[in-house]
Amino acid sequence: MKEITSKLQEIATRLFNEGKIDVFLAWEKGEQEFQTKSYIAHSVDDVKNIIFNEYSIYNVSNALLKLRDGHEKIGIAVKGCDSRGVVRLLEDLQITRDRLYIIGIPCPGLKDPLAAARSFGGLGKKESDQGLAKKCLECIQPNPVIYDELVGPEQTPRQQGDRFAQVREIEQMSADERYKFWEDTLSTCIRCYACRQVCVACDCRTCIFDEMKPQWVGRETNTTDNMMYHLVKHAHMAGRCIECGECERVCPVGIPLMLLNRKLIKDVGELFGGTEAGLQYTEGAKPALSVFKENDPDNFQ
Amino acid sequence: MSIATNQEWKPKIIVFTCNWCTYAGADMAGFNHFEYPADVRIIRTPCSGRFDPIWVMRALNRGADGVLLSGCHPGDCHYGTGNYYNRRRQTIMKNMMQFMGIEPERFQTSWISGSEANKFQAVMIKLVDDIRRVGPNRKLRDAR
Repeated sequence: MKEITSKLQEIATRLFNEGKIDVFLAWEKGEQEFQTKSYIAHSVDDVKNIIFNEYSIYNVSNALLKLRDGHEKIGIAVKGCDSRGVVRLLEDLQITRDRLYIIGIPCPGLKDPLAAARSFGGLGKKESDQGLAKKCLECIQPNPVIYDELVGPEQTPRQQGDRFAQVREIEQMSADERYKFWEDTLSTCIRCYACRQVCVACDCRTCIFDEMKPQWVGRETNTTDNMMYHLVKHAHMAGRCIECGECERVCPVGIPLMLLNRKLIKDVGELFGGTEAGLQYTEGAKPALSVFKENDPDNFQ
Repeated sequence: MSIATNQEWKPKIIVFTCNWCTYAGADMAGFNHFEYPADVRIIRTPCSGRFDPIWVMRALNRGADGVLLSGCHPGDCHYGTGNYYNRRRQTIMKNMMQFMGIEPERFQTSWISGSEANKFQAVMIKLVDDIRRVGPNRKLRDAR
């Protein structure tokens, strides 16, 4: 981790001096030992704040959305999941490739800051041998899929077994059991929209949940409105979710949002085939629901 | 005078039709005096490519008991490709809603062309039968 930090700083300094970039996107140290934040370095003087440690779990590709309207050249440090986010934004034409200089970090697997905060606080328990974050244990793409420069040795995927196992389990239930399961799960949702804010696929300028006229989805935190919110949000994720697991990580009440995303990934894969969202970048490629084949499955009538 | 206490439940069913095929088919069904249940309300849209899954959810949320989307047969779209895009969207949405526990009968699809008045009648009768069988929509309905 220390080597990666120093290498990142070295590369950022070099790029600033060569005039290749105007800003550099990476992580900085947070208030606590176990926190990091996304960070935009504007000059060589800022480079010393850049850090990459075991809590640099935040998906920085999301921060590109703040810069999408400008013309500055951007250097960005990405892990495997972040690089898929960059591909997502390139596919959605939110940013152009020639503005980006991408530094890839093959990710060794990181720790969850929230779990660390829990082990730090309260009972005087210090950070023990805390394992990897859930999203890192389920990682299928630790190596960046798009980069100009690579820092560190390549890693192997950490996902063990069938990542759709839980989806299949729920599919086996009856309709009423499924409804009961989601009713229980989603009734805890406080509609903080953290999952939307952190999502790199949520790149609309005006979000449908912020619209007042017409107000498509009610704003109460009751079961039906919560279900509506999650149905509509995940309808927009179909064929676009990059499986970075950020939504589930930031959820303050622990809703298993990746379960819904995996259901979509599984269905899109089974029904329409093709590569999963953000796994490779080809110019002009479109997400699964923006294209069609004449022989798509038609057996739902 | 007394207030009727035993009001029979009548399903509310929304049918989104495309302007070019299914609406013409419905028109022809009326023209030929084909009878079908009066529980369906037809909303005309320009093309099945215009269908947004949120319409279905919103309809169920605001008190509909069932929704049918209907447009031209694949390959016959007036604009060429609208129903192909729609087909992918609604396949995914249907699976998603069933995954969340909504009965599959509530959200249906059928391709009906402008000359298929018979099919339109048959589909409407089957749709109303289906919804009557599964009963009132309580799952996604706004509880206020």
